[in-house]
Amino acid sequence: MTGVLRPGQTVGTVGSPTRCKVGRLLGGGGQGEVYEADLGGRPVALKWYHRHTATAKQRKALEQLIAKGSPADQFLWPLFLAEEPGIPSYGYVMALRDSRFRNTSDLMTRRIEPTFRCVATAAFHLASAFLELHARGLCYCDISFSNIFIDPQNGDIRICDNDNVGIDRAADAAVGGTPRFMAPEIVRCERKPCRETDQYSLAVLLFYMLVMHHPLEGAHEAAIRCMDVPAMNMIYGKEPLFIFDPANPSNAPVPGIHGNAIEFWPLYPSFLRALFVQSFTDGLRDTQRRVTDSQWRKALVRLRDAIMHCDRCGSELFYESDPSEAAGRRCWSCRAPLHNPWRLTIGGQAVVLNGDTRLYPHHLHAAPTYDFTAPAAEVTRHPTDPNVWGLKNLTSATWTMTVAGGDVREVPPGRSLPLAVGTRIAFGSVDGVIEG
Amino acid sequence: MANRPGGAMASRPLHFIWMVDCSGSMAADGKVQSLNSAIREALPHMADVARENPNAELLLRAVAFSNGARWHVANPMPVSEFRWDDVEAAGMTDMGKAFRTVADQLRVPPMSERALPPVLALLSDGQPSDDWQTGLAELMAQPWGKKAVRIAIAIGADADHDVLSRFIGNPELRPLQANNPEALVRHIRWVSTVVLQSASAPGTQQADGSPITSNVVIPPSDPAGSGPTSATDVW
Repeated sequence: MTGVLRPGQTVGTVGSPTRCKVGRLLGGGGQGEVYEADLGGRPVALKWYHRHTATAKQRKALEQLIAKGSPADQFLWPLFLAEEPGIPSYGYVMALRDSRFRNTSDLMTRRIEPTFRCVATAAFHLASAFLELHARGLCYCDISFSNIFIDPQNGDIRICDNDNVGIDRAADAAVGGTPRFMAPEIVRCERKPCRETDQYSLAVLLFYMLVMHHPLEGAHEAAIRCMDVPAMNMIYGKEPLFIFDPANPSNAPVPGIHGNAIEFWPLYPSFLRALFVQSFTDGLRDTQRRVTDSQWRKALVRLRDAIMHCDRCGSELFYESDPSEAAGRRCWSCRAPLHNPWRLTIGGQAVVLNGDTRLYPHHLHAAPTYDFTAPAAEVTRHPTDPNVWGLKNLTSATWTMTVAGGDVREVPPGRSLPLAVGTRIAFGSVDGVIEG
Repeated sequence: MANRPGGAMASRPLHFIWMVDCSGSMAADGKVQSLNSAIREALPHMADVARENPNAELLLRAVAFSNGARWHVANPMPVSEFRWDDVEAAGMTDMGKAFRTVADQLRVPPMSERALPPVLALLSDGQPSDDWQTGLAELMAQPWGKKAVRIAIAIGADADHDVLSRFIGNPELRPLQANNPEALVRHIRWVSTVVLQSASAPGTQQADGSPITSNVVIPPSDPAGSGPTSATDVW
């Protein structure tokens, strides 16, 4: 495969004295070619536009994005424009995507098999990243499988193709989006991409990742023989109907065709399912009723906290706090009945206490800043009695615990309190209670 | 033990059929060799598109026509298992028989009731030597024939554009003219990637909001690809 640029040649970077040395051609698409490159010893990627896509408008958009800077680490954001006398067109330098990241289509085809915790973590990072992007007044315009990459070991994500990002509402979007991810009002040609259409696409992507299926593909889709433009327009634009719409079951998933939807949906806690119902019922029709990025972020953190394990086979499951929803639940893998796990309830929300559970600052403070790099507490095993579990104080403050009998003790930094049902812990600004 | 339940996401089959002219004239100027090489070169790019479209289960086949028509690759194969063994050029241009051969396979069954639009890619360098009209009518009598995305590549100056246009059946899509090996490579690559992508995820609107006239929106091919014959053209 050969491209416009040759390995070993250098191109100038606008706004940086360092020249960019071209490496291997990584791939080409409709807009241009992407190369490995080196910028002063730092491995980077270099996108070079085809002549017909290298418009003045695209260049101006890139200049704006570079000036604004990346909203979050997850974006492989344009860093510098690149150009070189004698070579037509121009390009830009961005961070190189590490090989540990795999395309989300690999998740959908089961070429990667991450855990539920990993998928929930990736979903959380996605919501966080788009929250930051939208907070800067930008919209992404083209959320889809091909632009999102996931590390199947830990749920880290990377978002590429950021040169299509536009200023929200001012954007004369170059792209309408990707079929199946586009909001119904875009499919119907009523609107251009904007923050609310991004929020719809994000909900579709989250549903795909968690339920392994499209939220609108049920009985109506199954009844269509040829999935062509008129069919796609009907399912995704003119007559969209959620497969789990509580008020209209006519588009329910069909056994044998939509098996993943039937299998995954009931596994999730009711608070998460409620957000999908909102997204794809009221939110389908009224853009103001779409679930916001911060609502998703909060719910996805809660989803991570709800992960428990089957007593019998160890499979990952989700704790359901609503007793009417929890009744009769069984393990998806070995069919064993589920028992309520031990959990720490803080402010009405449960964190399941597994052997590897960690609490983070957002659990112990009202302010929702999510930092998973510095745990504030962790479940530990007693050093001499492995049957005794404790919660270790990793903060610099002293906690106060009140056991079920009423005894009060202090838990200084670095010390652990024994886990026992009924124990209350005053963490400072919030209190928690251990339930079982 | 599996980490999560279920299987791969639901997908629909996407049948992609190469219909390749192997008449004697294809032997001239290395046309058939170029075609063999161009299809083989396109396969990894097809695999990339297939990989990025988990909604589509891409299945490839090929019909070769000269004196009669025969399946060059008879069983629908995933692109990862598809092998392109070189075709050879000899005989007439029985395009009508190729249409009929494909029509037989587009019946339900063997076709499934639910699928994405099939892609039929016809490559020819000359005039049909048989009753192509009846063959085409049989193809178009099949619902999957009618719904198929039909693309044609005219190889060299003697290809019959009228017949190829009738096969395409869409005034907005012209046969792609390949006057040299580079253009043939480019067109085959375009069919293997851009057209395949369009059939995998039929666009739900035109970028400019204009009404859609076909059942799959195909972006225009690279304008450089269909340029006029120049002095350097080999065919």
